Amino acid sequence: MTIITKLGGCAAALFLVAATTSTVSAAEAGNPVWGLVKVDKLEYRAADETNTVAWDAQARAGTDTNKVAFKTAGEYVPDDDSFEKVETQLLYMRMATDFFDIQAGVRHDFEPGPERTYAVLGVNGLAPQWFEVDANLFLSDHGDASARVEAEYDILLTQRLILQPQAEINIAFSDDRPLGIGAGFSSIEAGLRLRYEIEREFAPYIGVAWERGLGETAIRTRADGEDPERTSLVAGVAVFF
Amino acid sequence: MRLYNVMRFAAFAAATVLVAQPALADGSHQIGSPAPAAKADRTVEVVMNDNYYGVEALAVQPGETIRFVVRNDGTFVHEFALGTPEMHATHQKEMAMMQEHGMLTATGMNQDMKGMDHSAMGMGAMTHDDPNTVLVEPGQTAELVWTFKSPMTLEFACNVPGHYESGMVGTLTVAPPTTK
Amino acid sequence: MKRLVALAAAGIATFTASAASAATYDISIGRTTIDVLGEPSPAMAINGTVPGPILRFKEGEDLVINVANTLDEDTSIHWHGLIVPSSEDGVPGLSFDGIKPGTTHTYRFPAQQSGTYWYHSHSGLQEQEGVYGAIIIEPTAREPFRYDRDYVIMLSEAHPTSPYQMLANVKKQADYYNYGQRTLGTFLDDIAEKGLDATLSDRLAWGGMRMTPTDIADTSGYTFLVNGRNADQNWSGLFKSGERVRLRFINAGAMTYFDVRIPGLEMTVVQADGNNVQPVKVDELRIAVAETYDVIVTPKEDKAYTIFAQSMDRAGFARATLAPREGMAAEIPPLGPRPQLTMADMGHGSMGGSMAGMDHGSMSDMKGMDHGTMGGMAGMDHSQMAAPAQDPFYAPGSGLTPKAANGGKVLSYADLKAQKPLYALREPTREIEVRLTGNMERYIWSINGKTYSEADPIRLQYGERVRFKFVNETMMSHPMHLHGMWSILDNGNGAWNPAKHVLNIAPGTTLAAEVEVDAPGKWAFHCHLMFHMATGMFREVIVEGGPQTAAAAATAAADTTAHAAHGGM
Repeated sequence: MTIITKLGGCAAALFLVAATTSTVSAAEAGNPVWGLVKVDKLEYRAADETNTVAWDAQARAGTDTNKVAFKTAGEYVPDDDSFEKVETQLLYMRMATDFFDIQAGVRHDFEPGPERTYAVLGVNGLAPQWFEVDANLFLSDHGDASARVEAEYDILLTQRLILQPQAEINIAFSDDRPLGIGAGFSSIEAGLRLRYEIEREFAPYIGVAWERGLGETAIRTRADGEDPERTSLVAGVAVFF
Repeated sequence: MRLYNVMRFAAFAAATVLVAQPALADGSHQIGSPAPAAKADRTVEVVMNDNYYGVEALAVQPGETIRFVVRNDGTFVHEFALGTPEMHATHQKEMAMMQEHGMLTATGMNQDMKGMDHSAMGMGAMTHDDPNTVLVEPGQTAELVWTFKSPMTLEFACNVPGHYESGMVGTLTVAPPTTK
Repeated sequence: MKRLVALAAAGIATFTASAASAATYDISIGRTTIDVLGEPSPAMAINGTVPGPILRFKEGEDLVINVANTLDEDTSIHWHGLIVPSSEDGVPGLSFDGIKPGTTHTYRFPAQQSGTYWYHSHSGLQEQEGVYGAIIIEPTAREPFRYDRDYVIMLSEAHPTSPYQMLANVKKQADYYNYGQRTLGTFLDDIAEKGLDATLSDRLAWGGMRMTPTDIADTSGYTFLVNGRNADQNWSGLFKSGERVRLRFINAGAMTYFDVRIPGLEMTVVQADGNNVQPVKVDELRIAVAETYDVIVTPKEDKAYTIFAQSMDRAGFARATLAPREGMAAEIPPLGPRPQLTMADMGHGSMGGSMAGMDHGSMSDMKGMDHGTMGGMAGMDHSQMAAPAQDPFYAPGSGLTPKAANGGKVLSYADLKAQKPLYALREPTREIEVRLTGNMERYIWSINGKTYSEADPIRLQYGERVRFKFVNETMMSHPMHLHGMWSILDNGNGAWNPAKHVLNIAPGTTLAAEVEVDAPGKWAFHCHLMFHMATGMFREVIVEGGPQTAAAAATAAADTTAHAAHGGM
């Protein structure tokens, strides 16, 4: 099966589950089962060297206390018809505090090769001062541990025009040579996106995205003849239902 | 200090008298005058309850002196007041103020407060002794004797806050007897 | 003529028992289309109308009410505010199994009280879909007030989105419906007005709690209705100049509190939640979800008056007209400014800006706070004081304290005194604390930190007098409703404490009410904000003991009639 098929299969399955439960059932005073499909990013990234289409989406289904989530993120290079990055996660999420869930599960990266499977353990929620935070520890099937922290913040310019700064930092605790990752801070991403919520569920946006390999990882990237840093102008849409 | 108190009292007394004048000249003289019970031409019994009168309308003749015997069968204090709607409106404001300041309670006048020096609180006369009204405590009966003057349409009403608006009011027609 | 027909039909169909059998009523619940949202939209209706027919009962009647379900889902009818045997209370799962599709259920109970009440579905989220109507029970004894005519003024909402989808929306994004949030613009305005320091510390204080002072109502986008008509359709009631008109205000909204006033007319409140109160003159009143207030107005001028009911968050308004002739309308006042919560509503008193050092990470922080010193009225004697500017049922400095638009008086719970107490005053036998809790971010609402599915029933013993102490640890107002028994609000009036069926507890405040436990069986006890009830702010109350047999129950009912009959006094 090609990547597309594998990916498509998983996605379709959970999206279907989430979509059918996307409205709350006639539950009275209880723990209703409900689902959510969220495409946080679906954008075209125009950069000097490479243009890509990037996505970041997830589907969730469950109750307030126990949920299952399927996440997928990646970048596709239309010129090459190849994927720079394809990441999927299947997580069990459990309500831990009023504002945070603990999540555990599995992550599988299809691209960049070689494929890797990781165990995932992390937290997801709303930190004080309204920062949306997703922080995870990963342990690869080759025994390499890494961590990722993502945060985003909404600045309301008007009730519907929202400026969102966002950042992601990846830390590798050991080298993963085949992947070109060196121990230490391995990469950082930041973005600033301005979205207009035509509806809560449909918000086109424009912005700027910046990614950079760091430290050892950057060195290896340059050694491969690629630029570890990339700045792109982005335009896309955020959707949920 | 004592001189100050004496002056305050004098001021209060003066204010009471000054303000009391309008109370007597509040229009009640326009609708008639109080009279001694012995002069009554007839007696009319009015029963009060929570919050209504037993009758909705009364009729008297100009010049008649009526002895109203007002009995309160309710559990709250009620008033029987004679006057025009405007007089009642003014009286309602006074009674609302008395209630706000604790002088008028649900079951009657607050005896403790009567003796208090109210001048310092910036109030006018806080008394309820207009001759055209009578305040009756629950279970009590009181009398009001009145000589009506000229033909007019008046109201008898209870001006305890909220009672008039609840319908504790009736028409009192002063008219010569209709000849056939 | 069209107006006359509209007035007659577009309002309410009044329903009195058919002559054949003195006290039998037939109602049917089904789907319909309503025309209040600009285009035909689906709704549920009773006897084809929204609201359903006004049920006019007579105090003392033995009622037989046949409810037919023509929907394709279960339904039910709960008689809100009526004292009925628990099997007739209409709550699926507690009173009975619900009314299955295609079947008819017969309710039988005596009407042992009088006043203005209402009825609505207790299944799913049908209440917002249109299954509600008014109940008027004519008293046997004379009422302590006189009026020449009366009208039901039933306030409610209509929304283009189904309530199930609305609930899913707030689950997915808590602020989905909040279009009144603070923006960069308000941030800059605040800096201009209050300075950078004050503004920053204010934002940090709220941000630290992950709460927003703009969070007044969970839902928005409603069109507000009076007797099923929107503001343009303008439900109208006629009067003759000088008449006393009784307006029976019922809040049949699922989620909305209304601030009601009639510019140019003072309202004299004579009844609250179906029980007569000592008359209070007000310019404005706030009616919480599921409450009722009966007022007397005396329009004297030969002109139209607007009944103006704006939602508490000022997102919109319901409007009706009182006029001497058809075809008249009065000016509609503009909506007032949107209120904002303050730190007082968070239960932090008037602590102003700096919250440094306080961990607001979770609502559980509120547990350690002494709520006994906040709001509340028990034992305070206000008869000797000048009217306080601060409503004691709102936290001092609250952003929600109602203020009359004309600077006059807004009705406060402190003003409600029973005209004739239903029960003799006695010491409570025990106290139960009811903490109103919730998590706006996840949109989970609960009692004592537990949702309905997580909690045990509350068990009461027949014959007790239980004092419920409500502690609102959230920043929303909650209208708490106990079925089957009266909640005697403790507002410091001792024997004259008013008996109510809905108690509104403002954010950051404490409120106490006592219940004479005289109704055996299972009773629902919940926040009447429909989406709060649906997400867990609900409890089962089981009253153990008391007469269980029919004969004994009949005797008990007679006893209850004896002291529940407050007739015209």
